[in-house]
Amino acid sequence: MHLIEWREDFSIGLPGVDEDHRRLIAGINGLHERIEAGADASLVGSILGGIQSDIAAHFALEEKDMTALGYDQLAAHKADHERLLDDILDIIDEVCEGGRYEPATLGGRLSSWFGVHFRTHDARLHSWLVQAGRTPR
Amino acid sequence: MSPRALMRGLFDGLDGACARAFGEAWNPMYQLGALGWFLFWIVTVSGVYLYIFFDTGITGTYESIEAITHAQWWAGGIMRSLHRYASDAMVVVAVVHLLREFARDRMRGNHWFAWLTGVPLLGFIYVCGITGYWLVWDTLAQYVALTSSELLDALPLFGEPIARNFVNQAALSDRFFTLMVLIHIAAPLLMLLVMWIHISRHARARVNPARGLGVVVLGALTLLSLLHPALSQPPADLDIVPATVGLDWFYLPAYPLAALWGEGAVWALLLGSGLLLALLPWLPPRRTPRAAVVDLPNCNGCARCFADCPFGAITLGPRDDGLAYEQQAVVDPGQCMSCGLCVGACPTATPFRTAGELQAGIELPGHPLAGLRERIRQAAETLSGDSRLMVFRCGHGATVASAPGSVAVLELPCVGMLPPSFVDYVIARRLADGVMFAGCGRGDCHFRLGDRWVEERIAGERDPWLRERVPRERVAVSWAGGAERAQRRADVARFRETLAGLPPLVRGGLRQLAAATRFAPVTWPAPVRWAGIAVALALFTVPLGVWDNWPAWRQLASGQAVVRLSFSHASRPKVECKPLTPQELAALKPNMRRQVGCPRERWPIEVELERDGELLYTGEHRPAGLWDDGPATVYARFDVPAGPQSLTVRMRDSGRAEGFDYERTETVDLVPEQNLVIGFDTLEGLVIR
Repeated sequence: MHLIEWREDFSIGLPGVDEDHRRLIAGINGLHERIEAGADASLVGSILGGIQSDIAAHFALEEKDMTALGYDQLAAHKADHERLLDDILDIIDEVCEGGRYEPATLGGRLSSWFGVHFRTHDARLHSWLVQAGRTPR
Repeated sequence: MSPRALMRGLFDGLDGACARAFGEAWNPMYQLGALGWFLFWIVTVSGVYLYIFFDTGITGTYESIEAITHAQWWAGGIMRSLHRYASDAMVVVAVVHLLREFARDRMRGNHWFAWLTGVPLLGFIYVCGITGYWLVWDTLAQYVALTSSELLDALPLFGEPIARNFVNQAALSDRFFTLMVLIHIAAPLLMLLVMWIHISRHARARVNPARGLGVVVLGALTLLSLLHPALSQPPADLDIVPATVGLDWFYLPAYPLAALWGEGAVWALLLGSGLLLALLPWLPPRRTPRAAVVDLPNCNGCARCFADCPFGAITLGPRDDGLAYEQQAVVDPGQCMSCGLCVGACPTATPFRTAGELQAGIELPGHPLAGLRERIRQAAETLSGDSRLMVFRCGHGATVASAPGSVAVLELPCVGMLPPSFVDYVIARRLADGVMFAGCGRGDCHFRLGDRWVEERIAGERDPWLRERVPRERVAVSWAGGAERAQRRADVARFRETLAGLPPLVRGGLRQLAAATRFAPVTWPAPVRWAGIAVALALFTVPLGVWDNWPAWRQLASGQAVVRLSFSHASRPKVECKPLTPQELAALKPNMRRQVGCPRERWPIEVELERDGELLYTGEHRPAGLWDDGPATVYARFDVPAGPQSLTVRMRDSGRAEGFDYERTETVDLVPEQNLVIGFDTLEGLVIR
């Protein structure tokens, strides 16, 4: 079972941002499968490192778009980005340093880590874009 | 030691002294270009004011400037002095700026653009200054007018010598002042355009100095203007030759050289050195570091490298790899200086990526991040103890010595190339207890913006932020120019003391965005600083007030007078007009037929001048014009002892083999400094007066 299912209505209407979202969700789901299959900590840590890089790039792009469009909640949205970037590094540190991880807790942490942001901040951005008539759909 | 290394050492010392007195924000050595702009605006504003009261006419000019200077000394007088002293200061600032960029080798590779466009700016400064002195129409202006004309006449530019316009009072016209005003206004406007081009490849180019510095510089120039106002010399009178003139040695040093070496040598020197300056960026040894390269699979067009490039070398272009992103970063290799600031800005530049090869969206080919991470790991293995320090230094500031076991030093093109995530990595993986950025002097980044970006990234004011979770007490920045090695050593020692006193790093400690520990040059105590600023400003401004008309130049030896041959005369045609025969008429096209045929070509004129029976001059002068059908022009100057003497001038204008068509002998009693002109009048023939 996928940790996060991509749905077409997740699409917020900014092509690059949507592309990033799809890739990120695929990445997180892929990691989840590895965790369920019992991958060792170093592999999980290295995959997390890749996700961290992807998500940092994704946030950068999303922030550029939000700035360009004059998004009203840019500051709060960016603050959450920064918190997430701190959090994933903490997760990476724990996995790498401890040399082991708890599959059940890690799955839950990852799901809430990105999922909550996605369902709150990104959803708010989506509805703002629709209201402001900025989205192509 | 090479001359450049010596210069570099001198500038390092000067930078350091100024940093102590002025502080890092006001340091004039760090903003010479911006000071040049500031002086330009002072000259412009004061010039506009002067122009309101300026009268363009032979007599009006001098009088109007006298009125500006004396009748309203409290406004016009100050403006005039500011106009002159700021112009002199601009020469100083431009030359020091040029020497400093040379000493730091900021002219090779892609630096060539700013270097090359700076060379004509020097020329513009001189054109503006020289035409300005010309406009005053005092004895200096007279000297400038004649010497400039003689210099220009040495070049094959003008059909006839322009010096003849200034040969005596009668030759001068009001229109000439209008022309000079036009040049004196047009040249600065063109100069402004070139100044803009000069900085056009610099993102966030600095065109204003620190406000406080601007205030003290303007204050010093105003004080100089009040204490030592710029004044005119006696009014110009072209019928005399002033033996001595006070020269502005900032603008006019080439003029005495023309008298000493000859015009040709001066031009050879000026044009030769200008050409050499312009070609310097391409002279060996050539150094062209490799430009940054974008890796599209890792680039989503987030624009952070574009925002941080100090040289405008990165643009955002349309996507060309089929991915759904709209844009991608595009590097112009012709503008990239290979500083790596773009790498430091790239969100994918993170050492935590251990799956596959570490590859960021933009990288410097000579300094791959994968290699940097490896160097960090290797360096970490050499460290031990409780204050292990990892220093990232650039190649341009004060050096840092690595200390086996306690301090590891890694060099980058610029400290701004280090992505903040690498600092996080070093601390989180406990590869060292602290990280120090060791860069150039604050405000003097070799690549312009690296110091600013580093501080702003650490403080969470600029993306990418150094993560909140990195304890700021374990991060330090040390800004120290080349000469500040002692300061650098002290910074390292102080930071290691701090590190040794810190409790062990715990995960999940206080999360806080804050600035790093910041070391910058120690300034002197406030009273000493102000004294230092006063001394520096005095050293800068007093020479402006001194060398702007001292020492005076003696252009004519004592007891001498000047005789000038100056006239223009159309000689006789080589073939006299004669009626055309019917056969000749028939050979012409109908519209070209005329009764009398007049071939246009004229004889050259030959001129001789004798003084007391001794031949002073003999010369042949070709007629002007493409068909040798115009008047021939003679201009020559002779310095002769004053006193009674006999002058004989002869001219042949008919191509005859022997004898002369015109001759005149006069006995004259020349007084010292007299300007005697030998001319030609169609009614009177040759005239000596």
